[in-house]
Amino acid sequence: MADHNKTDTEGKFFSEVLSPSELFAARSRSHKIPVRGQKDFFPNDSDEQRQRLEQSLNEHWSLISEERVERLGNLVKATWLPSEQIVELQSPAGKFWQTMGFSANGKQHLLPEEALYLMECGNLQVFYQNLPLSIQDGYEKFLSSSTVSLQQYQVFGHLKRLGYVVHRFDPSSEPSSYTRQLNLPQSRDRAGKQLKRKRSASPTPTATSSHTEVQERPTADRMEEDECGHECEEDKKPPESPLTASAGTAAAASSDEGRGRTWWMTDDLGERSDHQPASGYSRWHFKSIPFPDLGSRGSSSSCLYPPDPSLLPGSVAVGVCDIAPWRRRINLREVKMSSKDQKREEDKRRRRWDINRDREVRRCRNWAEYQELLARREGRRKGRPAHLWNREVTPLHDPRQPIPTEELLDKMSVIKSTHLLEGASSIKGSDEWRICFNVYQPDTVADFKKSNPGKPYSRMCVCSFDGPVPDLRAIKLLAFQGGDVPVVFAVVDHGDISFYTFKDFHLPTDVFP
Amino acid sequence: MDDASASRGESPPPPHVVGVSLCDSAPLLWRMEDLRSVRAQGLVGALLGSLPRTPRQNGRLGRPLLLLPEEERLLREGHAAGALPARRQDGGGAELVVQVEQQQVEQQQEEQQQRSYEEQSVFALEDRKSALLRAMTSSHSGSGSGSESSDEALRSRLEDLDRSFTFPRSALAVQLSTARAGLSYCPEARAFLQADWPIREQNGRGCDARYQVFRDLRGRGFYLTSAGKFGGDFLVYPGDPLRFHAHFIAVCSSLDESVCLLDVLSVARLGSNVKKTVLLCSPGTDGRILYTSLQWSGMV
Repeated sequence: MADHNKTDTEGKFFSEVLSPSELFAARSRSHKIPVRGQKDFFPNDSDEQRQRLEQSLNEHWSLISEERVERLGNLVKATWLPSEQIVELQSPAGKFWQTMGFSANGKQHLLPEEALYLMECGNLQVFYQNLPLSIQDGYEKFLSSSTVSLQQYQVFGHLKRLGYVVHRFDPSSEPSSYTRQLNLPQSRDRAGKQLKRKRSASPTPTATSSHTEVQERPTADRMEEDECGHECEEDKKPPESPLTASAGTAAAASSDEGRGRTWWMTDDLGERSDHQPASGYSRWHFKSIPFPDLGSRGSSSSCLYPPDPSLLPGSVAVGVCDIAPWRRRINLREVKMSSKDQKREEDKRRRRWDINRDREVRRCRNWAEYQELLARREGRRKGRPAHLWNREVTPLHDPRQPIPTEELLDKMSVIKSTHLLEGASSIKGSDEWRICFNVYQPDTVADFKKSNPGKPYSRMCVCSFDGPVPDLRAIKLLAFQGGDVPVVFAVVDHGDISFYTFKDFHLPTDVFP
Repeated sequence: MDDASASRGESPPPPHVVGVSLCDSAPLLWRMEDLRSVRAQGLVGALLGSLPRTPRQNGRLGRPLLLLPEEERLLREGHAAGALPARRQDGGGAELVVQVEQQQVEQQQEEQQQRSYEEQSVFALEDRKSALLRAMTSSHSGSGSGSESSDEALRSRLEDLDRSFTFPRSALAVQLSTARAGLSYCPEARAFLQADWPIREQNGRGCDARYQVFRDLRGRGFYLTSAGKFGGDFLVYPGDPLRFHAHFIAVCSSLDESVCLLDVLSVARLGSNVKKTVLLCSPGTDGRILYTSLQWSGMV
């Protein structure tokens, strides 16, 4: 289709300009791309292969050399303003205005990458000094380090061609983590209504209560339990005191919502623990879940207080449970051995053990060795064998010290796991890694508002295989800048783009302290 | 063709010099003859732009063609590439001469568009007439009689069309050029521009090893493209990539560089997953390139 004049050695005008007849004939062009056939494995010098290669190449050239031809009425006109590095529209914008461009000084404008993309789509004709710019001019003028680089434009174009809405990322216009924490209603009405509903909800007996509510609950409990008599007071004291102690922490907990419901009324201890992971899954703290002890001889309680009525189904009401009859059924008598039996037990213990039968003792040649043996055994029994503890390298933990399993695992861990946002706020920014674009999904185009685009689908950071791989510091920095929107790395490799993203993963630890 | 001219006693024509335009320090080719010439030399490159016929898809892309740094260097060393001059009238320093030129060019543009409009109006009218003819003759094809009256009607309709037909300006078909129309360079300009070639960042020895391997493989007739996605330096095709699958993934390193075994394992694993042979390539001391292929075999 392209009619190009061959270059003379004299140096003449080179052009790929279409004649008016060609321009007119362009309206009946096909809009389909031929499908690529199957490839061959190995080149042999057969005619068939040569023919197919020729055909493929011809197809290739005819597609590539086709020039863009548009009706003048379909083209939006614009001018390039190099001083401001933006494009100003001279005729009204088309459908693209819904997702691209901005208004300034009463006129419509486009960013250089948006203008170049629209030029490539054949929707826009940009003039500079009263002459139309070619696509080549657009690439050379619009893409630079001060606007958008070639690699970034490749990613931009790739995503736009797939239908995504792509905007430049502006870190200053993103809500800070504090405003996000406050969860202020966005300008959309839907979010506002949601918030109102939460505030007017009646307080439920869960951990999400405010400071005053926590104080109310113990009194309510006390009123319920007063029926069961004075002996119950003792039992209830331990559960209650932690409750009041944690009233201070409940204020801190009030900002969190949706903590798991707990079974027994003493549940605020959950907030006290520091290792509440960011993912917020609920854990049982068995210290705070009192299981009634009916079997030990020392306990003097004779009744069980009723469970939290909110945990009971429907309208089931449970009163105080008298445990006296149950305890009678348990045989709580101490086993009493007669004096004869006792003596027999002692003899058995003593006589069975003949020290000379011990092989290790027989190996000792003198008293010194025997004493060493005794010391060793003592150490092993006591949990601190000498050969482990008397050297420079000692065991990590003394088995005589009690330690919950979780802390022990923590002590043993060589690599500490971390979340993407952990410690990320203190990382200083760098020029090397920054987020370029916000990407919004294609199906939101219908009701997309440029003034309030909402939360993006992902954020793009453009890099290439020639450059360094992002280290943990860079990933954390970008994750922090991105907020709660995942950051995707678009790696450009000479025309191919691969997308990578890093996600938080928490290794499950089914460990109860 | 070269032999013929040599036998006639003339020097062979100089190889076609392609015009490379730098965009953000990347070498791009825009003109069709440049793309064809480069492909004929066995250099593939990568297309970056939207395809004019169907711009909103990523399956097939259009111009510009991005050259690998090795491809660009090969062209330059063969004196087959030169930098295209930038577009003139780039802001500042508007001298009178430039202004007059500018006005001339604008005027030319307007005249060209006017001529195009006039010619297209003629085409449009003819098109309409033939459409009318077809419509009327097909509707009358059934009835054979009364041909004179139908001819009359036809003529009057055609005359009406001549009188009342207007071709609106908005229907004018306009070209949005891909490549910039302008001067091609003459040999003197070529030499001048080559000296002016901006030196872009080179990684030193790693870069050199890659170029040596590229040149050698290209010399053996292989076609090479970039292989970042495959964890290597180049994808090696036995023939034109349009028709053949790649056989090798070439990983280049210098001889004295030590390679971590884990890297070898990972690249071998990758190669076996995509059914391509991994080639470890290093420029040797005597100017030859040493190739080692990796094959995954089980424990025998």
